[in-house]
Amino acid sequence: MSSTPAPSPAAPGPGFDWIGFLSRWGTIISLCVLIVVFSLGRPEVFMTLRNMFNILNQVSILGMIALGLTVCMVVGLFDLSIGAMATFGGYFAARFLMELGMDGMGAVALVIILVLFLAAIIGMINGALISYLGISAIVETLAMSFIVTGLILGVSGGRTVYASDIPDAFKIIGQGKIGGVPNPVLILTGLAVVLLVFLEHTQTGRNMYALGGNREAARLSGISFQRYALIGMAIAAACAALGGIVAGANLAAGRPQGVGETYLLNAFVAVFIGASTIKPGKFHVLGTAVGVLLIGVINNGLSVMGVPTFWQYIVQGTILILALISANVNAIRRA
Amino acid sequence: MPDALARLNELETGAAVPVLDVRGMRKAFPGTLALDDVSLSVRRGEIHALLGENGAGKSTLIKCICGAYAATAGEVFIDGEAVRIADPHDATEAGIAVVHQHLNLIPTLSVAENLWLGESLPRRFGLIDWGRVHARARDILARVGVDISTRVHVDELRPDQLAMISIAKAVSSDARIIILDEPTTALLPHEVDRLFDQMRRLAAEGHSFLYVSHRLAEVFAIADRATVLRDGRNAGVFERETMDRARVVEAIVGRSGALADRRTASHARDEVLMEVGGLTGDRADGVDFMLRSGEIIGVAGLPGSGADETLNLLFGRSPASGGTIAVAGRRLKLRGPADAIGAGIAFVPKDRLAEAVFHAESIRANVTLPSLSRLLREPVLRLIHHRRERAAARETTARMQVRMPGIETAIDDLSGGNQQKVVLGRWLSTGARIFLLNSPTAAVDVGAKSEIYGLIDDLARSGKGIVFASTELEEYPVVCDRVFVFSQGSIVGELAGAALTEANIMTLAAGGEL
Repeated sequence: MSSTPAPSPAAPGPGFDWIGFLSRWGTIISLCVLIVVFSLGRPEVFMTLRNMFNILNQVSILGMIALGLTVCMVVGLFDLSIGAMATFGGYFAARFLMELGMDGMGAVALVIILVLFLAAIIGMINGALISYLGISAIVETLAMSFIVTGLILGVSGGRTVYASDIPDAFKIIGQGKIGGVPNPVLILTGLAVVLLVFLEHTQTGRNMYALGGNREAARLSGISFQRYALIGMAIAAACAALGGIVAGANLAAGRPQGVGETYLLNAFVAVFIGASTIKPGKFHVLGTAVGVLLIGVINNGLSVMGVPTFWQYIVQGTILILALISANVNAIRRA
Repeated sequence: MPDALARLNELETGAAVPVLDVRGMRKAFPGTLALDDVSLSVRRGEIHALLGENGAGKSTLIKCICGAYAATAGEVFIDGEAVRIADPHDATEAGIAVVHQHLNLIPTLSVAENLWLGESLPRRFGLIDWGRVHARARDILARVGVDISTRVHVDELRPDQLAMISIAKAVSSDARIIILDEPTTALLPHEVDRLFDQMRRLAAEGHSFLYVSHRLAEVFAIADRATVLRDGRNAGVFERETMDRARVVEAIVGRSGALADRRTASHARDEVLMEVGGLTGDRADGVDFMLRSGEIIGVAGLPGSGADETLNLLFGRSPASGGTIAVAGRRLKLRGPADAIGAGIAFVPKDRLAEAVFHAESIRANVTLPSLSRLLREPVLRLIHHRRERAAARETTARMQVRMPGIETAIDDLSGGNQQKVVLGRWLSTGARIFLLNSPTAAVDVGAKSEIYGLIDDLARSGKGIVFASTELEEYPVVCDRVFVFSQGSIVGELAGAALTEANIMTLAAGGEL
């Protein structure tokens, strides 16, 4: 065995490889810079433990939805139904608990499992339509989001399930704390760890990356696209529903509309920022987490500084574009 | 009467001055001389064939003539006048039109719109004048005698009609010479006949064609003259009267084959690994053969002959409509590649970058993918045992002699040959006993080629059975114990021992007899 390196097109030349460095670490550096700027700007408000938990709490629902989206993006499939699925999770969890009329952890856990299961089934229907019939994932999930939205409006008659009809055991999920850490943050952390292990340390995850990277080569390696499209879309839908459930618990209401839509586009922003972090061009859990934090820090920091809301959108959009450019520069150099 | 005189005059000068005359064409790429002092001349009203193996320089020559490449040296004359061709636009101006293998038509547009492509459409009151668009399109089609509605969308047409529309487009631009680059690849035999009838008629009217093809039978059917290239040089020009199959084949393959390297010792044993009976699919019909342990079988043929398709059928990549495949005496039911892999079959596809490599992934991830099931901590969550995975990746890459900085290097950073060793090595630890290899040395440099030949030989020595296909015929005598030659979907001959030569493969593949 020889260890002579092959001539490599991306071999760093003399001097430091700035482009490569920025395309990997640019988003994390911007995150750090923003934290420093906001801390210097309002040290007494921004850089407090309380505000840090506040930021994490604010982004936890977005985080759950974005992490689920990361899984189906790994297989190479877009999911535009995650907004509707979040509304689905929040509304039906509250509605079932109201209908059941029971309090207690047992009933709440059962209902949550049931709702996640239903969401996963809808995700599998997405996966099946996309992979067996070869329909475009974007269009199919857009259509599914209409169906799900219609379903929720039909079942609810447009009426919100109010706090008085929701057991306290459910509200704790969104409002309680354990050891000073808000429950949504704990749920998000748990989900992130599970999905990290799933995507990077199991054969299932590896096969999903293979399909997303080169579907034909994966097929010729014996990996079934149909099977992993089903798994990926089911996870995306279930994670979105989980985000919706936590949002509902936090609000102490089951709203039939206006819950998930706000998260849909931000989830995509977070996932794409993630795909330009550390491993350019790859969707991964750690990257998505950075993307979610970046969005949270921008929104929280700018409002703490008293900057008008419109700046949040402009800064967020600019950072996404910069992230995409840096990831692309690296991809072009590789080609 | 003056017309006839002018025509006579034109014919006489036409005979003297070639429509297209290429002299001393050279094209150097870093490290290779793709064209070395190549000349070519096409007379007016002639159908001139350009022949040669893959890599002989045909496509490079065409690309230099039509301006896709800038030639290193050489001159091009159109009707006796020197023209400078620096880019495709110059070539079009000079009257050179190319009809590509993948026809340059837009499938979702109508025939008329395609015929107008590249020009601005006529307008009336600021809006497109569709009446005039279709009227001129009908004129253009009438000039080449094609009867197709100009309103049909191009994707509804037959392949031969597509070729004719491209030719019509060339004729309408008053092209002096129309270059057809493998126009018959996608055509069925009767469609080829129709295309040829129309080409002959246009040639009789004075249009000139340069026809590039692999299919010798077609060349003998249509060409007035033929120029043969070999290794980037002229290897002969044949007039219709002297165009004899044996001589043309000899010019194409050359006498000095790699005879010294040809395979002499077989590792074949008695044990039968795979038995194929009457295997039939879309492009293969009734394929029968038996593969023994340690044996290297070649499947050869022109594109679309069924050789490639046989490999796809054996791996469950294309669905079989009939026939049987038995591995170690057990009949297989293949619903997809996963079933074939489960039965101990490995596959290396033809297009490495599009079908085999996982880009931006490490060498480790590329090499362990199909055998990950053997590298797990437990079977439920399927957690990967990373230490064992790294060890497996190191062992395989060492055995395949992959030259690399380390197993975590991205596969894209390796040379073509080393990438191919990774792709081949992927199958060593899946327990595969049958290896289907399609052009494993494509786009690989010469040194890596012989290494890969050595690795294939090692596989056979260790008792694996190999079915090999290549776009380069000269590889078959070097790699294989015996070769099945395919033509039009069926096996037309089996070659082994001294009879296994490039020339014999070519003759059988082109539909000839030995």
